[in-house]
Amino acid sequence: MWRSINIVTLIVTLILRLLASSQLVNGMRFDLETGATKCITEDIKINAMTVGKYSVVKPVEGFPLSEDDRITVRVTSPHGNNYHYADHKESGNFAFTAGEAGDYMACFWTPKQSPEKSLSIDFEWKSGLAAKDWSKVAKKGQVEMMELELKKLYDSVTMVHEEMFNLRAREEMTQHLMRSTNAKMATFSFFSLVICLSVAALQLWHLKAFFQRKKLI
Amino acid sequence: MKAYAILLLLLFSTLTVDVTALSVTVNDVECVYEYVLYEGDTVSGNFVVVDHDIFWSSDHPGIDFIVSSPGGNVVQTMKGTSGEKFEFKAPRSGMYQFCFHNPYSTPETVSFYIHVGHIPNEHDLAKDEHLDPVNVKIAELREALESVTAEQKFLKARDARHRHTNESTHKRVIFYTIAEYVLLAVASGLQVVYIRRLFSKSVAYNRV
Repeated sequence: MWRSINIVTLIVTLILRLLASSQLVNGMRFDLETGATKCITEDIKINAMTVGKYSVVKPVEGFPLSEDDRITVRVTSPHGNNYHYADHKESGNFAFTAGEAGDYMACFWTPKQSPEKSLSIDFEWKSGLAAKDWSKVAKKGQVEMMELELKKLYDSVTMVHEEMFNLRAREEMTQHLMRSTNAKMATFSFFSLVICLSVAALQLWHLKAFFQRKKLI
Repeated sequence: MKAYAILLLLLFSTLTVDVTALSVTVNDVECVYEYVLYEGDTVSGNFVVVDHDIFWSSDHPGIDFIVSSPGGNVVQTMKGTSGEKFEFKAPRSGMYQFCFHNPYSTPETVSFYIHVGHIPNEHDLAKDEHLDPVNVKIAELREALESVTAEQKFLKARDARHRHTNESTHKRVIFYTIAEYVLLAVASGLQVVYIRRLFSKSVAYNRV
């Protein structure tokens, strides 16, 4: 349905990768032209907590946004299930636990306006350990702050460790594929030779029989 | 926003941006904006281009990457590349613009990661009495860890790109080999048919 509604010349797909540490004051900001769709995809592991926040940036501070400057947001899972849908909102957020592992897509759309303009949208999307809400964990006082910092570092290190395992697993899959390609190339080359020779032999046999029938040999 | 700003001052958090991949289309420029709070912050990151469909053609020549400062000056430029790391020291604070430009018609998907890191220096230490020299060390440690994370993301994106290439190679090997067999058989069949026609009596009597 998304595809059929938003057939625009510039279809931009944004894929979001996981963020290690938290404390996002400003997330990412991108421009969305009126009538265009932009999608952000993020690779989320299964049962990972994920949190997202989006808002339209006011072009002039203090002035409210016009009624037309609203966006429609939809978050879908890799298998197409809808996890979040918001229509004509200025800002909003979503949070869910991933039921499937894979690429989750958050698509933004804004209705077409007669003078074509582009809206700036602030967007934050954290998942896994980065989605942990540190403000809840934070306590008052200076020593606790340092402890908090070190806790965050520990989380980062844990994520680095897990990511190393994932990288290793992926590399092994790539290696496996390359080896299989290599083996296939060897068998196919051999068969190519066999077919070539057999085709030549068939030709010779057939033409010989043909000429003998025609009493030329 | 206020609560976040206070937390930022007290905890010296680093500003980080989610890794984003864009697919840039015909002569199009896709830009992402990132706010740098302090002058002198190190902005580092990487990006990798993932081809959509490389079955028939060769590798995409690459895209251009341009970083502009809030004043409009170009801070960094990389042309015709399919994946690189970058790092620079922000000359001033403000909203920096990271643009990807695709000069060719095939759409591309770009996966990138941008990190803005701030390490409190003596000036900050003097300003805020809550700050400890330990905080500086913690910030340095965090920056080092972030560089490891950035490297991991780069490797992950490059691995995805290599996997696409390998899968395409695998499919192409099978397709072209089967096509080769079929063409070989067809060519030899045509040869036989042609020779038979040369010797048939109905065509130009004893032409051979």
